[in-house]
Amino acid sequence: MELRQPSSLADVDGGLPLAGGTEVVPLLRDGLVEAETLVDIRAVVPKGVSGTTIGAGTLLAELEADPEIPSALREACRLAASPQLRSMGTIGGNLLQATRCWYWRLKYPCFLHGGSTCHARQGEHREHAIFGNEQCASAHPSDPAAALLAVGATVRTDRRELPIGELYRLPTEDDRNVTALEPGELILELEVPRPEASHYLKAMDRARWAFPLVGVAAARFGDGVRLALAGVAPIPWALDSADALEQATPLPGTAYKVELARPLIRRALDAIA
Amino acid sequence: MARLIRTEKEVEGRYTEQWVVVEEDVLEQWPEGPLQTVGRPATRVDGLARARGEARYTQDLRLPGMLHAAVLRSPHARARVTRLDLEPAMAMAGIRGVIGPSDLEPLTNEPNYEGEAVAAVAADTVAQARAAVEAIDVEWEVLEPLLDAEQALAQKSFVTNPRDYERGDVERGLAEADAVVEAEYRTQSVLHNALETHQSACEWEGDTLVVYTSTQFLWGVRDEVAKAFQLPKDKVRVICRFMGGGFGAKGSAGDYTMIAAELAKRTGRPVHCRLDRREENVNSGNRNPTIQKLRLGARSDGTLTAIDAEYECLLGWDGWLPPTAGPAQMLYACENVRTVERGVRLNTPPMDAFRAPGFVEGTFGLECALDELAAKLDLDPLEVRRRNHADHDPMDERPFSAKELMECYRRAEPHWERRHEVRARSEGPVQRGVGLATQLWYGGGGPPSYAWVRLGGDGTVTVVTAMQDIGTGTRTAMAQIAAEELGIPLERVTVELGDTAHGPYAVVSGGSSTTPSMGPAVRSAAADVGRQLIEIAAQRFETEERVLRLENGKIVSDLGGSWAIEDITGLLEDGQILGNGARGPNPTGMRVLTFGIQVAEVAVDMETGEVVVERIYAVHDVGRVINPLGAESQIEGGIIQAIGHTLSEKRLLDPQTGKVLTRTLDSYKLPTFADVPEIVAELVDKPDAHLTNLGSKGLGEPPIVPTAAAIVNAIRDATGADVREIPVDRETMLRALAEAREREKRGAPAAV
Repeated sequence: MELRQPSSLADVDGGLPLAGGTEVVPLLRDGLVEAETLVDIRAVVPKGVSGTTIGAGTLLAELEADPEIPSALREACRLAASPQLRSMGTIGGNLLQATRCWYWRLKYPCFLHGGSTCHARQGEHREHAIFGNEQCASAHPSDPAAALLAVGATVRTDRRELPIGELYRLPTEDDRNVTALEPGELILELEVPRPEASHYLKAMDRARWAFPLVGVAAARFGDGVRLALAGVAPIPWALDSADALEQATPLPGTAYKVELARPLIRRALDAIA
Repeated sequence: MARLIRTEKEVEGRYTEQWVVVEEDVLEQWPEGPLQTVGRPATRVDGLARARGEARYTQDLRLPGMLHAAVLRSPHARARVTRLDLEPAMAMAGIRGVIGPSDLEPLTNEPNYEGEAVAAVAADTVAQARAAVEAIDVEWEVLEPLLDAEQALAQKSFVTNPRDYERGDVERGLAEADAVVEAEYRTQSVLHNALETHQSACEWEGDTLVVYTSTQFLWGVRDEVAKAFQLPKDKVRVICRFMGGGFGAKGSAGDYTMIAAELAKRTGRPVHCRLDRREENVNSGNRNPTIQKLRLGARSDGTLTAIDAEYECLLGWDGWLPPTAGPAQMLYACENVRTVERGVRLNTPPMDAFRAPGFVEGTFGLECALDELAAKLDLDPLEVRRRNHADHDPMDERPFSAKELMECYRRAEPHWERRHEVRARSEGPVQRGVGLATQLWYGGGGPPSYAWVRLGGDGTVTVVTAMQDIGTGTRTAMAQIAAEELGIPLERVTVELGDTAHGPYAVVSGGSSTTPSMGPAVRSAAADVGRQLIEIAAQRFETEERVLRLENGKIVSDLGGSWAIEDITGLLEDGQILGNGARGPNPTGMRVLTFGIQVAEVAVDMETGEVVVERIYAVHDVGRVINPLGAESQIEGGIIQAIGHTLSEKRLLDPQTGKVLTRTLDSYKLPTFADVPEIVAELVDKPDAHLTNLGSKGLGEPPIVPTAAAIVNAIRDATGADVREIPVDRETMLRALAEAREREKRGAPAAV
């Protein structure tokens, strides 16, 4: 395996991008992704916060302590992973995390891997989805993605700009990816509007270092409020209103997530009122 | 003079009678309370070496020419190998040896659980070995696994015969009761996840097999390996100088040792076989799940009239039946007790001992049911426990060698009193409560266990014994005992352990037996040196032995005057004073047990089901405490591990295939430091006057025993919800809260 360390975007030519490595290295080790060439993009991708722009190479550890960014994003970064992981992991990489679904991780021939069934639906799925789960019940693991969705962030790649909502897509018969990124496309920056108030709440299995069972991000712009959830669908899930929670389609083992989301949504809305 | 005696030996509740030769041990116990070194906090003698990375674990071994093994393990819970071609593996780069089912005992063509070993390879690098395992051409006929406990019970699929126990008449007892609780409790399978995974490196030196291994029992591994390879026992040398934790699952040799030894034999090279974290979570033992059906009856004053308990222990494919009924049988002075324990065989990975096996599970059900009973009778749970205190062993009327449980209850009183103030701090959706639970466990240790002590010309002391320190601070405790007996500072004692070729036999570090077994042997050996030193000093200084004693590194005369120990040992130049020590028998006709109580304070979010443990008070009676600092750490460690078991840890299996889903540390959720509450640890620290020359019992297991029940009882106190299974995750908590609300709506009294 080869490691390339390009010094400019123009020098990037194929290969698997690697920044903090906290996501890619375990996937490589488990054979969930394969690559002949790794590309260290740390010198290529912008870093740091400038006004409302966040470089994709900014560490979660920097964002969790940044007073200028929306509180929902700051809190989502603080509640993600562990201090060690946040000191390596970047916000760009965090958005592209693969699901923690154990069936997918253990390479069951599931829908997400191109197969025809979702093993989680019939099997153990306590950490799985309550929305968008008809074909694949995996849960998206990112906390910051829900916060960015609630504040209406825009993603700038080396090829285009797109609202973060369009970065993600449910896997379909024809395309099992959960993001709209093209092969080789790199996230460079995030444009993060400043809501008047925002908040992120997270329920997890232990006090720290766990993916969200349910994460709730809420942001207020004037009279308008936007809600987004983490850990409840194969992708970060925007919720039109608190009532929209009742349209959830939980599995027997995820029904509790609806009960759990309800008070968290109410509390998040109270916090930004 | 050596005496041959017949004595009862107990390891984790399994009693056997055996012959033991014991030396006369004329040592009186030391007086109660802190002494010069024993009973005073000592930092770990090997702490710096561990922190600096200088301590060499099995994991760190890099023997010259060492090969690395990888194992083909069954990906199916039950299967038959219909085709196995090892040739493609042999053709791979760096491969030095390949073995299959016909080559070695634990390798099989018919795996009965996921992870059972089928074949193994040895290669120059780990990556090459893994690639070769992938290359093995294997076809499986996948068979229907037995995974359902009820189906297994109906088929009488048992690992061992069910175990029945009965005293009195439970039906009569239940009929006489003013209140009865009948409920089902469930505990989950949890995984040990020691920091160092299971592993061995094996090397043949001529006809001797050297086994470097991460183990809790050097001598057990020696015996197992010697038998498997048909070697005289001492042709197997087992070494474990530093060990990264076992928690019960490293008591035997394991397939990895046999695989490394066989591949080393075939390749003529040292071979290291190390489980990776994923294998560790599948294939290195687990605490078996239980389903417990309990009926408890009591009179209106709280006196227990009956305990009726049935335990289904889902052992997996193999293992042994842990003493799950132990607490029901022994904890309380109840006249009518009936227990049944069934060890159910399923196509899941075999259980192994896990820190107080059986008692952790059994105490959870019993102590939760007792609180439910106290609530029904509107009695104080602590008072109910006092009322049912067993003054002697309720199974056979034997006296306890010592029992300070009432003292534990007394000390816990102010912490239990805090419940009024804690409950009052409930605010909004967050309700607070306090719960308690009693602990009972073995931990008396026993013979045979030996130690040697040598005193050199420079006045330094070395304790030599082939025991293991599994990370519990044993080296430090043994050094303290030797220093105390010889009246020298701790810094002058070195402890050499971890090698069967360098020292005498020592017990398994399991069943909380290390300190109570080895401590007396070390003291005995140090006393032997001390006696000789006094004899020599008396001759050198022309005085009587009886006026001399050892104190502060000196030989002190009652008649005035003192001499540094080196003044005597220096005379001998390279000469050494050598001492022998052996562990005496346990007191005949007495039950040796450890006791304690823990009080948990919790906060429960009634809307989100979040449970936060805010404080745990623990007081345990384990006889004399050698190192209060180490003892406190043991209590903290046990409680932290128990918090994981109670709130977040659960091995998940796919219900269709029986495969383990939680193989990594992000999916199998051990507690983090953010989950650790304030822990207040106390020890009664009163020597057991009947037990050995030390009066010390073990503390490895007691602290993990009552925690789950104390936390769940606190949850009931806070919320009125009956939680009857662990872990109490969000789903379990929210369901219990919904049931409690439903019950209240129906007008039934809440169980508080």
